[in-house]
Amino acid sequence: MSVGLIFGDTLRQNWRQILYWGGGLGLLAVYVFIAIPDMNALQQYANLVKALPPAILEAFGMSDAEMLATPDGFIIFGVFSYGILIMAVFAVMAGMGVTANEEDDGILDMVLSLPLPRWRLVVEKTLAYLVIAVGIVAVMFIALAVGTNFSGLEIREQVHLDIMAKSAINLLPSVTLMITATVFAGAFFRRKAIAMGVVAAFIIVSYFMDFLAEVASGALSEFMKAASFFTYFNSEGVMREGLNFSNIALLLGVSIVLFVASIWAFQRRDIGA
Amino acid sequence: MGNAVIRTEHLTKVYKARTEWEFSMGHMPTRRQYEATRALSDLNLTVEQGEIFGYLGPNGAGKTTTIRLLLDLIRPTSGRAFIFDMDANAQSVDVHKRIGFLPGELNLWKNRTARQVVNYFAQVRAGANAGLILRYAQELAERLGFNMNKPVRDYSSGNKRKLGLILALMHKPDLLILDEPTSGLDPLMQQTFNQLMLEVKEEGRTVFMSSHVLSEVQAICDRVGILRRGELKAVESVSKLTHTDFRWVTVRLKEPVSVDTFKGIEGVSDVSAVNGELRFRLTGDFDPLLRALSQHYVVDLHTQDPTLEEIFLAFYGDQPVRNHNNDAAVKEQVQ
Repeated sequence: MSVGLIFGDTLRQNWRQILYWGGGLGLLAVYVFIAIPDMNALQQYANLVKALPPAILEAFGMSDAEMLATPDGFIIFGVFSYGILIMAVFAVMAGMGVTANEEDDGILDMVLSLPLPRWRLVVEKTLAYLVIAVGIVAVMFIALAVGTNFSGLEIREQVHLDIMAKSAINLLPSVTLMITATVFAGAFFRRKAIAMGVVAAFIIVSYFMDFLAEVASGALSEFMKAASFFTYFNSEGVMREGLNFSNIALLLGVSIVLFVASIWAFQRRDIGA
Repeated sequence: MGNAVIRTEHLTKVYKARTEWEFSMGHMPTRRQYEATRALSDLNLTVEQGEIFGYLGPNGAGKTTTIRLLLDLIRPTSGRAFIFDMDANAQSVDVHKRIGFLPGELNLWKNRTARQVVNYFAQVRAGANAGLILRYAQELAERLGFNMNKPVRDYSSGNKRKLGLILALMHKPDLLILDEPTSGLDPLMQQTFNQLMLEVKEEGRTVFMSSHVLSEVQAICDRVGILRRGELKAVESVSKLTHTDFRWVTVRLKEPVSVDTFKGIEGVSDVSAVNGELRFRLTGDFDPLLRALSQHYVVDLHTQDPTLEEIFLAFYGDQPVRNHNNDAAVKEQVQ
């Protein structure tokens, strides 16, 4: 069997998602630029947000209200903090597309009657969805770069596209983690509903742990921060200090573990009902 | 004959007890408790090269479980299965190269056309050499009167069956594993199917198929095996089985008659009255029955051939397995 056939087929069947998801996120970016006509409006917005409690601010993906007074900070808050949540939905749908959907629909019986090792199905489809995720982020970034033209000259001159590019790249390790976590759940559990429930719980709990850690104290706060993958996403940190390679390595490392575990789980269990 | 294409050794599948939660929007989660099920018990079966083997049994007998085990979709609790002397689990990829499979219920990508599905399967099977497969797939589609240009979701169940047959046959596999292949096919297409199977046999290839249709099994199968409650009850040649000597008779009489009236008639058994009709099993000649019926005004009378399961039960009842494979018959005692 030709190497890459399933990879190519998955891409062919799903490439439109790049346009749909990337375009949707791009529209969000354009909307954010339209929402900030000048620096004065930005400062007013930052002053308003400063009054919010830290946990609420954290829930919206921002711990430093002062950053909102800068165009870069506002875009990161408006685009990437929401972008990761939107991409979480994509990641779950993509991860389910690797084995769970076809197993639930009974299609996998026919596919696995072909001369095709199970691991190959998992590997090629997962890689295809990761490529699609990269495509979505690329389209989003292009839309964001184009979207700067919708804001005033003052704002446009202060937007740093290199920071935006790093923030876009910073989405990918977290999306990879969410995709592989979903692939693992789909490979481990035979029932799609259970797999989806488990991975949704994982993402939601991680999200709440990340911002509730702000109101917790001491060891509990430390634990909650450390246990939530959103901590390692840290879009604010990317704006201040650039990409954090230890965070990226950690997220990708866990993704690889989940990916290998998915292959192991799918290889050894019964398929279907 | 003589080379075993399928060989199972004490193949057993037990589904563990499990609890499942079902979630649906707007409803409380519901819990379902499944008890442990012995779906297949100690199956010892041999299917020879070049034969058409019918695999029979009522729903839940273990037919589909056997097929899924042979295809390595599920793993045995104990025992092993060999296809072409290769382990069905450890060498599944090599085994699948030589198999064509039609599941009981064919599910495919609903948005793709049949042609796209056929192309994809041909590419997976043969890569750059898919052309030969596609040519034969087209030939099969013409013989089955099947239009490959529609999306899968638009096909009737009969047409889906045709697509399944094309996918199973198009690469000319050495072994066909078919689960209820003719369900949903019209009589004309069933004849085409029978013809295709006989051609497969003539080419020395092998067919393993589950079926409920007596005429189909009589027409094409060389041997049949019957499963009940996960146990192989018997393996027998079709010609021997179908020489059985009973049928079901249904009679409607003008005046009501007690069931007991018919119980003493020679050859009559299992008498029951349903909706003003008498139904019973008649073994042997009709004459004693006709003599008894001559005392009454007969409104309607019809006979029905027994199903293969009934024939098997008439032969063997609940006796242990009898496997008349060859002279070297396997005579395993099912636990």
